[in-house]
Amino acid sequence: MEALSLFKSLFKIDALNIFLVPFICLFGIVVIIYSLGGGAKDIKAKGAYYTYLLLTVATSCAAVLANNMILFLVMWGAGGLLLYLLIGIQDAAASADAGKKTFILVGGSDAVMLFGIAILWRLSGSFNMDSMHVAVAGKAGVVAFLCLMIAAFTKAGAMPFHTWIPSSAKVAPIPVMAILPASLDKLLGIYLLARCALNIFIIPASSFVSIFLMLLGAGTIVCAVMMALIQHDFRKLLAYHAVSQVGYMVLGIATATPIGIAGGLFHMLNHAIYKSCLFLTGGNVQYRTKESDLDKMGGLAVLMPISFICFLIASLSISGVPPFNGFFSKWMIYQGLIQGLSAGGSRFTIFTCLIAAMFGSALTLASFMKMLHAIFLGQPSPDIARTTKEAPFLMWLPVVFLSLLCILFGVFAVALPLKYFIIPAIGSTSLSLSGYAPVMSAILIAIGIIAGLAYYLLFGAKKSARADSAFVGGEIIPCDNRVSGVEFYNAIKELPVLRNLYAKAEKGLFDIYDQGKTIVFGIGKFFQYLHNGVLPTYLIWTLLGMIVIFFVLQR
Amino acid sequence: MNSINVVPLFVIIPLFSAFFISIVGKFVKRNAVYALSVIPCILLSFFSFNALRLLQSAPGHMLLYKIGGWAPPFGICMAVDAFGVFMLVVVNLVALFICIYSTGYMEKYTDMPKFFTLFFLMLTGMNGLIVTGDLFNLFVFLEIASVASYALVAFGTEAEELEAAFKYAIMGSVASCFIFLGIAFLYGFTSTLNMADMARVLATSHSVFIIPFVSALFIMGFGLKAALVPFHAWLPDAHPSAPASISAMLSGVLIKTLGVYALARIFFNVLGITATHLAVFRFLGAISLVIGVVLALSQWDLKRLLAYHSISQIGYVVLGIGIGTPLGIFGGLFHLLNHSVFKSLLFLNSGAIDYSVGTRDLKHMSGLKEKMPITAGTNMIASMSIAGIPPFNGFFSKLIIIFACVQAGYFGYCLIAIVGSILTLASFMKVQRYAFLGELRQACQNVKEAPFVMKFSMIALAVICVLGGFLLLPSLRPFINNAVDVLIEGAKYSAIILGETAK
Repeated sequence: MEALSLFKSLFKIDALNIFLVPFICLFGIVVIIYSLGGGAKDIKAKGAYYTYLLLTVATSCAAVLANNMILFLVMWGAGGLLLYLLIGIQDAAASADAGKKTFILVGGSDAVMLFGIAILWRLSGSFNMDSMHVAVAGKAGVVAFLCLMIAAFTKAGAMPFHTWIPSSAKVAPIPVMAILPASLDKLLGIYLLARCALNIFIIPASSFVSIFLMLLGAGTIVCAVMMALIQHDFRKLLAYHAVSQVGYMVLGIATATPIGIAGGLFHMLNHAIYKSCLFLTGGNVQYRTKESDLDKMGGLAVLMPISFICFLIASLSISGVPPFNGFFSKWMIYQGLIQGLSAGGSRFTIFTCLIAAMFGSALTLASFMKMLHAIFLGQPSPDIARTTKEAPFLMWLPVVFLSLLCILFGVFAVALPLKYFIIPAIGSTSLSLSGYAPVMSAILIAIGIIAGLAYYLLFGAKKSARADSAFVGGEIIPCDNRVSGVEFYNAIKELPVLRNLYAKAEKGLFDIYDQGKTIVFGIGKFFQYLHNGVLPTYLIWTLLGMIVIFFVLQR
Repeated sequence: MNSINVVPLFVIIPLFSAFFISIVGKFVKRNAVYALSVIPCILLSFFSFNALRLLQSAPGHMLLYKIGGWAPPFGICMAVDAFGVFMLVVVNLVALFICIYSTGYMEKYTDMPKFFTLFFLMLTGMNGLIVTGDLFNLFVFLEIASVASYALVAFGTEAEELEAAFKYAIMGSVASCFIFLGIAFLYGFTSTLNMADMARVLATSHSVFIIPFVSALFIMGFGLKAALVPFHAWLPDAHPSAPASISAMLSGVLIKTLGVYALARIFFNVLGITATHLAVFRFLGAISLVIGVVLALSQWDLKRLLAYHSISQIGYVVLGIGIGTPLGIFGGLFHLLNHSVFKSLLFLNSGAIDYSVGTRDLKHMSGLKEKMPITAGTNMIASMSIAGIPPFNGFFSKLIIIFACVQAGYFGYCLIAIVGSILTLASFMKVQRYAFLGELRQACQNVKEAPFVMKFSMIALAVICVLGGFLLLPSLRPFINNAVDVLIEGAKYSAIILGETAK
């Protein structure tokens, strides 16, 4: 009995965390099936790999269910450790470097969270999340809030603590990317953010904190998507989108309106679904082609039709095209922003954020069009054999399942996920979700597509299509010449202002890890200079130290 | 076993073993020497746990032994209280694993009996310093341990090792000299050398003008033994130069016994702690923890890197004790225990790499995980412990120190502790990256895992790292809590000893 009461004091199940548990387990199952099907082919230490995956699921569940902050921190930190172990599971120098960077950022943010928890404990006298209601006011309250935000942002990958995601994207195994940075870390990070906004802290609406978070979210959306546009490796491109999408979730929760928070949570769920789908589909392509560079692929839609359709659905979801799930959650976030306006929020901030979010959405679509074209459409690349087959059954099954989930959560958004998961979670029943009827619009869109298809099949659009050689600058380019489509986007890199920024970003000027390294090593150099190895110098410090202590004590 | 007889055994066993091994060692086989050195260590560990058990029923929670039956303050006494027994358990347990490890590691060295002689002399010094109740005796044992460690640092007799030992000896002697001066002043003022009696005299006398001066001498002297910044400069040379098992001993327990234990014992139980003393401790702890870790980050010599981390971790311990609240001291002592486990383990790992690969330079090792899985695994655990990653033991002690800082309102020190923790993590990520992860070097293709005895010690210490957090359970907590009480109720120490011995 005593053990049971201890257990009860450590964990607490409420509507905000219980709906995450099935999803955490779901992503665990999906990734494990995918790995068994061949996704983990390159990994030598198979036993360790599956152990870590299962432990990751276990620690994530325990973290979201924990009510005691210390238990939460232990599970959260153990999750970070497992992330490090999973990234470095292949013995390669590059993945070891990425793992190092990841864990310095993630583990470091845990230490910062510890500070935040300590301050919370001092302010509220309790370790239990449900009995803390700390106002984000005064020095201590704001510092505690910022500490917890740093932890949540690092885990979820929001700017400026996101740099570990792009660095590890290219070198970590694909299933690892799909389960941790793309889904579970997002769930955990945004869960902490929501928990802070709903339970732990009392954030006054349209306060400084709320505006700060909103701007940070908007900045994350735009900056990360701009970085994504210029990537040539699909894994890095997806990684930058994993950062960019966090911006929407942060933005939604920062509005502090019920519909905004609901939108943020829903977007978190949707993002986990379509982003893991995208990573796993990309993994399928890489499994068959051994290639992750966009320049070297093309024309795979015919060869890998299932992967293509799943990738298309997930791409449309992430770009916020109705009727898929990404659209609905983004739409809710916009609604939340607009409602924030009527709640007395700063007009300037809200409009800035709204424009940034919509602009980001457009750029997301642009970069996914690039990727779709480069991988699946266009002229086939000479680097890829025409005999490439669809991925094995156990590898496409999870992907199909996830893309079906994208459609389901988009079309029946109100009837399924919102009703059962999201609205109970935020405990508000008065959400006005009018203005967009997902089922109706899905039917209309479907009718449109069917009509188009019918026209194509009936009237044979093929007949009217014509292929011919192009004449460019006095040179005739044969019609089967390949355009990967990636080059078009290089123009962005050459824009006058952006050119400098991109060059600096690639040098790591905006990377908190690289900058921190420079500062610390600079200080280290100074101290190394002082340690000259000469005994008399050391003795002088010793004696000076003693004299100073004597004067301090004498006072 | 009668409770009275346990106490002197902590000095007698290692002192006897030291000379017995040096005499017999020349005539018997190597394996016999190993047996002769491991057995006393097992006995010492057994007796320290026995003392822990006996302490619960002992009058006044104090095990006393009057040498020659002379009652203090006239005779010399040995007194073990909860703080002492805590240190005894830590020192002797770590010494046991290091001794077992040494039986494999010392194969490479020729004059092995001398090594164990010095090892046991050092252990004599540390155990004696913990059990003694007499200030002059404390100084004698301090010198025994120090001199043995000077010799052990120079054990390899290469130029670099001799230079390090020379520096260490000079600086250590300066520290001893100042400690001796402090003791002399105290003796002149109180006319007694018994710590309990001295505390009584100091508490009852009206003007204690001598305290600030003596405190400064002691802080410098013991601070140098504990390697607090700015008295730390000998450590980064001395610790890497010794054989790995001795580095583990030096970093793991010596700096804590000679430095932290002696400081805490004298300031809390004899001189009487003041707010200014605590402020000085906190400050020294905080700068040690930052400067140590910043210097560690740019090291490429594995053992030197670990040595700088010793400075930084001692900073945590002293910061915790310097907070002065029960929670802070608890954190400090818990971190002391944890640090002695994981730092010894890290040095043993570095020794295993040195043994198998023959290098200490991080740039010359890579991908060793494949060839040395046990070393890699245990090093991973120790690295995570020292970096304060849950669920390993280092996390919990850092957590308590940080909570204590916040509870007492020292937000600045708390921030320093956080930054130190992040940088420690960064530095150990570097160790993992360059030593164990990555691709195996061509030169390391034929590397073999360390021998069984070395693996045994490393695994045992790693298990303690994993399970260390359980010491916070209510049923196990008194082990540290009672030691904390000894320091918090500093004045009771003298009352108990004088009261018990008068009977």
